[in-house]
Amino acid sequence: MLAYIINLVTLISINAVLAITLNFIMGYAGIFSMAHAVFFGVGAYTAAYFALNVSASFFLAVPVAMLAAAVLSLVLALPALRVRGEYFVAASLGLQVLGVTIFSEWKGFTGGLGGLIGIPPVEFFGYGLSSNTQYMVLALACLLLVVLVTTVLLRSSFGRNLKAIRDSESAAHAFGKNVATIKTLSVAISAALTAVAGALYAFYLGFINVESFMLDTSVLLMAMVIIGGTGTLLGPIVGAMLLMLLPSLFSYMWFLPATEIGSIQQIAYGAAMILLMIYRPGGLVGASKKQVAK
Amino acid sequence: MLLLQLLINGVQVGALYALIAVGFSLIFGSTKVFHFAHGATFTIAAYIFYYLYSVSEAHWILAVLAATAGAVAFGVFMDRCIYAPIQRHEGSFFTVFVASLGAGIIVQNLVGMIFGRGFVSVTTPLSRSIELLPGLYVAPLSGIAILCAIVFFGALQIFLMRTNVGMGLRALSENPELVRVYGLSPRRLSTIVFALGSLLVIPAAIITAASSGLNPAIAHHIMLISLAATIVGGVGSLRGAACAGLLLGMSENLALMYLGPQWSEAVTFIVLFLFILFRPSGFFGRAIAS
Amino acid sequence: MTGPDNQVLLRISNLQKNFGGLKVTNDVSLDMRAGIVTTLVGPNGAGKTTLFNLITGHLVPTGGDILWNGKSIVGQPHWKIARQGIARTFQDLRLFDQMTVLENVLSVMEPVSWLWQPGGRAGRRAREEKATHILERTRLIDKAHIRAIDLSYAERKFLSMARIMATDARMWLLDEPASGLDRGSYELFLELLRSEVRNGVTVCIIEHNLDIVVGISDRIAFLDQGRLLADGDPQTVLKDPHLAAIYFGEQAA
Repeated sequence: MLAYIINLVTLISINAVLAITLNFIMGYAGIFSMAHAVFFGVGAYTAAYFALNVSASFFLAVPVAMLAAAVLSLVLALPALRVRGEYFVAASLGLQVLGVTIFSEWKGFTGGLGGLIGIPPVEFFGYGLSSNTQYMVLALACLLLVVLVTTVLLRSSFGRNLKAIRDSESAAHAFGKNVATIKTLSVAISAALTAVAGALYAFYLGFINVESFMLDTSVLLMAMVIIGGTGTLLGPIVGAMLLMLLPSLFSYMWFLPATEIGSIQQIAYGAAMILLMIYRPGGLVGASKKQVAK
Repeated sequence: MLLLQLLINGVQVGALYALIAVGFSLIFGSTKVFHFAHGATFTIAAYIFYYLYSVSEAHWILAVLAATAGAVAFGVFMDRCIYAPIQRHEGSFFTVFVASLGAGIIVQNLVGMIFGRGFVSVTTPLSRSIELLPGLYVAPLSGIAILCAIVFFGALQIFLMRTNVGMGLRALSENPELVRVYGLSPRRLSTIVFALGSLLVIPAAIITAASSGLNPAIAHHIMLISLAATIVGGVGSLRGAACAGLLLGMSENLALMYLGPQWSEAVTFIVLFLFILFRPSGFFGRAIAS
Repeated sequence: MTGPDNQVLLRISNLQKNFGGLKVTNDVSLDMRAGIVTTLVGPNGAGKTTLFNLITGHLVPTGGDILWNGKSIVGQPHWKIARQGIARTFQDLRLFDQMTVLENVLSVMEPVSWLWQPGGRAGRRAREEKATHILERTRLIDKAHIRAIDLSYAERKFLSMARIMATDARMWLLDEPASGLDRGSYELFLELLRSEVRNGVTVCIIEHNLDIVVGISDRIAFLDQGRLLADGDPQTVLKDPHLAAIYFGEQAA
């Protein structure tokens, strides 16, 4: 039982980081990315490859993964600067599909469809983490760090820049904000922090393959952010917890067929998304919106 | 000869893609709703047909009618019961899109639970290829696909150009207020658009069921094609969506032949991505206002 | 208020903007001098807001030139022009709705795109003080922590003014800043505007309200269908029967 909880907490922490970083660009800059799983994958593969071939030190593998993701995020930033809304969603969808194809085909780096196995445990000053409890602590520490960094950023002038773009991009322009730079920066920061989660994931599981980085994952992450509440600090954490606990919850319901739990979970959050959009678009944590007096 | 074979395959697939894309483009262009659940409409129609024709062994006309009813009912349901309430409150692009996404997820999983996640298909003698020329294999189904596309497009053109409702529909995308001048209500027109757009997936749904087969995740692929064709062709241009759908069908087939199945979908997306970066208004679309 | 000897801040020369065959701005030439309040009037669709969009870089002209302090700004991105000292408000306000009143005002004082603003803690305190001062003058200080979307209509109009007051812009382009305000509110608005002009801001206003037009303008520019029909002091322009026919003909219809 304890082992089960430790595992759950670790996975929830990793997913919470993913949700927070997605919320950073979705809820604050208004960039609706359906390609978030790709950056998760970039972080995981980069850290894994680095650990397998160079060093498993946390202080080397993780920054390298963050750098790789930040650089690659420029590919996402490009369409974000050109188009908005539906067009950007389409572009990010394309990126997601492309990313999965590359993950599946680039055998030299990602191990192809088989993935990477035998990833060494992450090391801190030569000491390798071995127990699940240690990984849980690490995951929680990373979550705390990410929460801290994003909170400081969002409360600062950069956060106001993001919110300005989200609320009225044309007004942001009109008041001297270089929207392109701000968007690019926010996408890069989001990608870099996402890579941290990816690296954690790779080290924790010891093996990774493309199945974890597909469209379904991107959609799940989006659901976490939306259900928890976009544009809030607590929302993505609540969303991550809720959606990760759903399968466990459903498995307790004896009347539900065990083989269909995955589907039932998806139906549950699909329905939640619809209902929330009709009655409470701000999500569980978000404030209920009020009509603007025109 | 190989080239000709590829061409014919491509045209068949492209014709179906064109129909689906036009359905989506019609809805998106007129109502500005990002109907991500369009793929789900396809799934519902295809599986209803499969179930009635293959499993229940009903007459094919009944199966087609049921599939049509299912698709139209779903489209109208989405419009009336989901998009309308959202738009009444504060329908931004985001809320509508998320609801649509949610609906798509639900349909995909329900279908998966009922029919299983594997591939199913409808067996019919029409899908057996005949050797028209030495080395050239064409199935009657291909001919039917192309014929359907032509007939449906023709009917759509007439409807949009000649009927009052059709003209109102074209006005809806330009200026909803103008619609009232015609004596129609935007709400009613919206429902008609959804019904019509959903109707257009029927030939593709049935023919795909009989040729390449179905699985619950097919909605993704359908949606991606619709999106790509709509944007590449130009939002607001049905002609553009049709041409782009045709083009994408052909390029997908070519990629299949020369690059392998893994890359065929990626190629479609590279094309889409490049268009979004360099020419978001597509081939025929109106310029994008920022 | 001083005469034509003032330095020309903004010079618009033969400005042209075509959308396809439609000439929304047709050979407009206008000088805006320091310290002068210019009002743009004209029937709806005359191209007044379009002119603002062209000046601020939101639209790129098809022809002609715009000189700010002697240098051409045509083709520069919107945000760069804003940083050179031209600020504007919008007819539909475009406030940062989900942010609080205070955040709205602070945000425009933070144009730097990097993660932090220059000036450190002292700079931040200075900005906060300035923001508080502006909110006091616009009577919004009690609502400092209320979201912009939750304000009343008049309060939102004043927040729009507070935002532009927070910039260091030498030139303000105000698009119908007082429309829909009740008498008391626009008296306050006029007073606010007058005091800013006294402090050296050059203003160009799009306005339909003749009280404001008369009450504050040093000069009136009359636009119709993209063309500049008249440009001179208020008394002369307003007494022209030809212009009145165009303007009031439209009003009466």
